[in-house]
Amino acid sequence: MQSSDALILQLSDGLAPVRRRRMLREAAFLLVLGTTEFALLLGLRLMRPDMGQMITSPYMLWKLGSLAMLAGIACTVAVRSFSPTARPRRGLIVACAFAAAAMISGMFVTPSSESGHALLNRLSPAHGALCMLSIIVLSIPMMAMLAILMRNAAPTQPGMSAVAAGVSASTCAALIFAFCCPINDPLYVIVWYSAGCAVVVAAARWLLPRCFYL
Amino acid sequence: MRSSLISRLIPKPSPGATPHDDDRSSLATGPDGWGGLMVAAQNGHGGAYQRLLSEISEWLRRYFQRRLPYGDVDDAVQETLLAVHRRRHTYDPRYPLGPWLAAIAKRKWVDQLRSLGRRPTEALSDDLSVGDHEMSVMSASVLGNLLDRLRPAQAQAITLVKLQGYSIEEASRETGLSVSAVKMNTHRGLARLAAFIEKTYAVE
Repeated sequence: MQSSDALILQLSDGLAPVRRRRMLREAAFLLVLGTTEFALLLGLRLMRPDMGQMITSPYMLWKLGSLAMLAGIACTVAVRSFSPTARPRRGLIVACAFAAAAMISGMFVTPSSESGHALLNRLSPAHGALCMLSIIVLSIPMMAMLAILMRNAAPTQPGMSAVAAGVSASTCAALIFAFCCPINDPLYVIVWYSAGCAVVVAAARWLLPRCFYL
Repeated sequence: MRSSLISRLIPKPSPGATPHDDDRSSLATGPDGWGGLMVAAQNGHGGAYQRLLSEISEWLRRYFQRRLPYGDVDDAVQETLLAVHRRRHTYDPRYPLGPWLAAIAKRKWVDQLRSLGRRPTEALSDDLSVGDHEMSVMSASVLGNLLDRLRPAQAQAITLVKLQGYSIEEASRETGLSVSAVKMNTHRGLARLAAFIEKTYAVE
């Protein structure tokens, strides 16, 4: 191996200017990608037909509001965690606490027509599995974008950053999918959306650190 | 605005200047000046970057010397310098460079520890110990003293033929002397040693 002095000479020789990393630009990339996905979904006429009436219901406000807040928190944590000096643990704890609070508050917005049904009927496993799969598929472009951003940045805790990226990709996908999902039951949302997000987070935790080298 | 300020602080080198002439700027050396040097490096200023890397490599060497085996320090320093080079665009000039560098160095330290853990090691067997060499050492010392009393050619002939197992012909080739000269040196040297030993014992 060459000496450190030779390496320094080699690195400083013909040094080109670099464009500084800006978190706002990265956040804008994510926003544009999310908006594009949402527009694509609208273009394909996949939004639930009764969205006009449902948008003002407590259930829909709870679902969209919680997911939007969670996606915002997670994206902020993820983009910030790509900086070498960032410590994403606290941000992830905040995101988890917010998710738990949102799940608990879901009990108070359950429509009375749903609460009387049997548990299995409320969960509707066949439809739930489809929802989970949709969230996983919708999160792929966001995950790819976050992987690129992570590779171009310098996270010093790649495992935690990968989890943050997984949470943000999956919650963004869940938010987009929430406009299409026809089920009006918070229990269903909590179980199947959480399962979809967990799969995406696990995949991100396993995959992203392997694509990254500081 | 910021880049023009840096350009004023660190003027571009003149064509005849030595690589370090441009580094004699008003920027302070040490951690407080590193941020300014890195900003200049981000703007493509090679001299500032060279000075920055030289200074941080010293800091990194001290950092890793306290944390890694001696043989791994250079590797860790160079790995960190490469990481700093690859990720220099992630440095935010609003903050000091020290914590940014320390975070990268810590990550590289962890990587180095992991690679140390993965490195294959061989367990030492329980019967590794060997008998003591005291007699051999003493014999070698006494023999060395005895051979010092002979002429160099005799000592060399005895060493080759009697101690190292050379044949007369091989010793002849090794020393450049004739076969008969080697034989004669060996014979006379041994005779002289014998006489010296007899004399020593007789006195004692």
